[in-house]
Parts: sequence; structure tokens; C-alpha cells
Amino acid sequence: MCPGIITVQNVHKSYGRTKAVNALSFTVREAECFGLLGPNGAGKTTMMKMVYGKAERDAKPEGLIHVSGFDPQHNPLNVRHLLGVVPQDDNLDGELNVYQNLALFAKFYGLTGKAAKKAIEPLIETMELVDKRHSKIRELSGGMKRRLIIARALLNAPKILILDEPTTGLDPQVRHMIWDKLRQMKKNGITMLLTTHYMEEAFQLCDNLIIMHKGEKIIEGPPRQLLQQSMEKYVLDIINKDHVDKIQACLDSPSIRADLSKETLHVYSDNIEALNEISALLEPGDYFLRFSNLEDLFIKATGRALDDAG
Amino acid sequence: MTQDSGHRAYPPLAGRIYSVWYRHMRVYSSNLLSNGLPPFLEPLIFLAGIGLGLGKYVPNFGAIPYVGFLAMGLPITTAMMTASFECTFGTFINLEFNKVYDGMLAAPISVNDLIMGEILWAGTKGFFFAFAVLAVAAPFGIIPLPGGLVMPFAGFITGLMFASLSLLVTSYVKTISFFNFYFTGFLSPMFFVSGVVFPVEELPEALRYVSELLPLTHPVRLARALCLSQFSSALLFDVLYIAAFTVLAGYLALKRLRRRLID
Repeated sequence: MCPGIITVQNVHKSYGRTKAVNALSFTVREAECFGLLGPNGAGKTTMMKMVYGKAERDAKPEGLIHVSGFDPQHNPLNVRHLLGVVPQDDNLDGELNVYQNLALFAKFYGLTGKAAKKAIEPLIETMELVDKRHSKIRELSGGMKRRLIIARALLNAPKILILDEPTTGLDPQVRHMIWDKLRQMKKNGITMLLTTHYMEEAFQLCDNLIIMHKGEKIIEGPPRQLLQQSMEKYVLDIINKDHVDKIQACLDSPSIRADLSKETLHVYSDNIEALNEISALLEPGDYFLRFSNLEDLFIKATGRALDDAG
Repeated sequence: MTQDSGHRAYPPLAGRIYSVWYRHMRVYSSNLLSNGLPPFLEPLIFLAGIGLGLGKYVPNFGAIPYVGFLAMGLPITTAMMTASFECTFGTFINLEFNKVYDGMLAAPISVNDLIMGEILWAGTKGFFFAFAVLAVAAPFGIIPLPGGLVMPFAGFITGLMFASLSLLVTSYVKTISFFNFYFTGFLSPMFFVSGVVFPVEELPEALRYVSELLPLTHPVRLARALCLSQFSSALLFDVLYIAAFTVLAGYLALKRLRRRLID
């Protein structure tokens, strides 16, 4: 019926006069990881909430969301029964222990007694929480809480997992571990819809992504391909701007794109030689030459201005 | 891992409401001592204070001593207070701070299920708190038995009533300290004009009509009459008031909270 397991077509969402999502369309194929990227206030979380019926899209006849054949606006319970949500905040029950938290949530899916135990035990194991089974939530580290929330989202063997910034605020070890777990789940056929600020995370996990800005889609595609097509290969970050006049002449070359932010000059090019020539004019500590990454693309696409307000 | 999730259906309405109720019950009973003991201590202290002190100076109300009169209103006011706390501060915290409702709304639980589970839980607490008053008062003969056995059920109904009203109040509140107006401005004064401390008939004429409009008056009168087996057709009015009040407040609360829970 639909080309993807999640289809979003021409969706709008306004809060009062503010437009949070503007004519957004995308399709998530089964068993892929799809990323929604964008600065704060880009409309990523709002879009996700509309997918599981926590937010309602503006009533426009052309707007459409389908999740495995259901419209979350009209059949929110059908949709939520087949997907799991990992929210941005930890909303675990602090008074209860790990197992009790999972058992309470299992009940929301109608899993009780043996069925609940059968669902919970393997998840405690895969999420490496066996020793913490009887620990209260306040005794857990941030990483353990995250793993528990992911376990909770997996209780009903969901087809789709919705992840809202799953590794924000975690240390690198835990982030890598969670990425491994998520990759494993993708192999098991779970479709993922992910929001993140971390470009590395998107690169590590996503098969496809869109970059959003002010509620609109500005770029779409597989991360590697996007980098190749829309981004110069190398970046020279010039940290000490005092020397900018020295290299001004070199910046006029057509193979070079320069982007001056407040304190740093970024020089982009596919030609490493050109960048090497520039760096030769600078002191060793004043620059940093590297491959471009998704973050550079993100900034190229969304601009450098902070956009916390909207 | 994904083989059969699409085939099973989400739980039926009763199961969903029960799972919300069960969550609240588990969280409440996880601190059994600090949550379960005060409901018994409070009426003990209160009734001892009144019975040993104030009660001596107050004449009997008809056939019953003053302590007995007061004690038959106490299960109702206690139920009112616990349900009101639960559905103001408790609900607000679940809504704004610990995001418990967001968790439920990520599972196959609807806003209806969530609100009805909440009201039912507040009713349950009303039952339990009214029972605690009875358990303290009945051994001393302050509340007569078996008539007094009606009290926990009256507490349940009172809990439903004030849960609905409190949720409606909560739907308007943006800052948690605003609940102080509801408690000191509405619930506490109501305590004195709803026939708990003295009979409504003793009020000045004008206040008597006000008293009939207030929600607390009706469960208090109903519970005391049932407890003393003093049936009259006037009680039908109380029953109707309670039913209509609960349904109306609950419906409005649901409508308004839905807008806060679903963006």
C-alpha cells in the first residue's frame, strides 16, 4: 500500500503563530535507520511526536502520516502498540527498581505474569543490566538509565523504534555501546527513526537522513553520499584570525570556499594542495587541517546563527 | 524479535485503565510505611484531641456526642483532601516534572485511559483513607458499626468527585504554587460550611444555600445518614448532585487536559 513503513507527506504543524513543521515529506523504509537532523527548534521532536500520536498535525487535507498502515492521528493506540519510543528525558519511576519499571510498562502492552517475564529477561540481559535488576533508578548512572529506557521501548517487540537524541549527555564509552546495540537491532529488522545533534551519530547509524531547518527539509539522502555530493572533501580551520590578511590572496581561488565565523575562519576545498599552500603561510598552532564531516555539511546547510529561540 | 507484534491487538479499555491505576498503586505502595501510616495517625491525633479536649465543652448533637458527629464527617474530608492532593500536586508533577504521562502516551494508553485511571486511583485512595479513619474511630465506638462500613465506599465516591474537580483545576494551572489558592481559598473554607464541624441547618439562611451548592456538603450528608440508617428521599438529591458533579467536572477536565497532553 505504502512504499515505506513510515510515510510522511506534506505535513504542517503550527503552535499558535509559530510554524514548527512546514510541508515536510519523507519516507522511511522497513529495517532502515532514518535520521532527522537539525539545530534546536528545527522541528525534529515535533515531527517524531506526530509519528506516534503525541502531537497532532495541522488539519490540512493534503497532509498525511502513515505508520505501518495506520494514521497515528486516528489510530494512536494501534501505532503505539507496534512501536517503541525512547524519549529525550528520563521518565522512569524513581521509586521503583529496574525490574519493576519494566514490569509496570509491560502492563501497558497487556503483558503480565509469564509473558512479561519472557519479554523482560532477555532485555535485561542484552542491555547489560543483570546486576542492576533490583537497583532503584536513582542508583543508576546516566548510561544505565538510557539502556533501561531503550529496554523499556523494546518490551513489546516493536517493528519501529523512535529515538529522540538517544545518546545526548552520555560519555563516549556508553555512546559507542548504545550505537552497537542499535546497529544490532537494525540487523534484527527493527526500523529506526532517530533525531540527533551529533553528526557522528547520524553517520554511524543512519542509512538515510534529512537535515531540517525551521521546520523545513533542506537536504535528504544517505549520509556518505550527501558528504560526497554537497560538501568539499577537506577543511582547514584557521583558529587564529590575526593572520587572515596573510592568506587573503589565496582565498580568491575558485577551488576554495571560505566561511568566516566570529573567531574562526573555515576554508573548504576538494583540493588538498590548495589548503596545504595556505597552511604553509601560518604558524603550526594556528590551524587544523582535516577531512570534512557531516557537521560541516550541517553548518553549510543550516548556517552558523544560533537558533535556540524558535 | 519482530515476528508477532503486529498481530496482537492492544489491550482493551478496562485493561488499559487498570494498568494506569496499577502503576500509581505500585509507586504509592513502594513507600508503604511513609505513605500508609499517616492516614491512621492523623485521625487518631485529631479525634483524641477533639474527644478529650473540645468535645467536653460541646453538647451532644441529638442522640450522638459531638465527637461522633465530627467523626462521621472526617472520612469524607480526609478522602477529599487525599484525592485533591493526588490530582493537583501529584498530577502536575507527573505532567510537568517527571514526565510520567509522556511515558504512558508513548505506550498504547490514550488520554482517556490515563485520566480515568488517575480518577480511579484517587477514588481508591479516598477509600483507603476513609477506611483508616473508620479503623481508628470504630474501636472506640465513635463511629457506629455496622453502619460505619459505608464510610470507605463514601470515601471512594468522594475521591472520584474531588479527583475530577482537582484535575479540572490542574488543567488551568501553569505554576505549581497556584494550587495554594485552591487549597486555602476553596477546600479549607468548605470544611466549615459543609456540615462536617456543625450541621448545615445551623448556618445563617444565606450561607445555607451556598452550602447546598458546594460539593463537600453532599457526600458528608449522605455518608452520615447511611451510617446512622436515617434514610430520606432528600438523599436522592445528594446522590444526583454527586453523580452529575463528577461526570461534568471529569468531562471538562478530560477535554482540557487532552490539549495539554497532546501537542
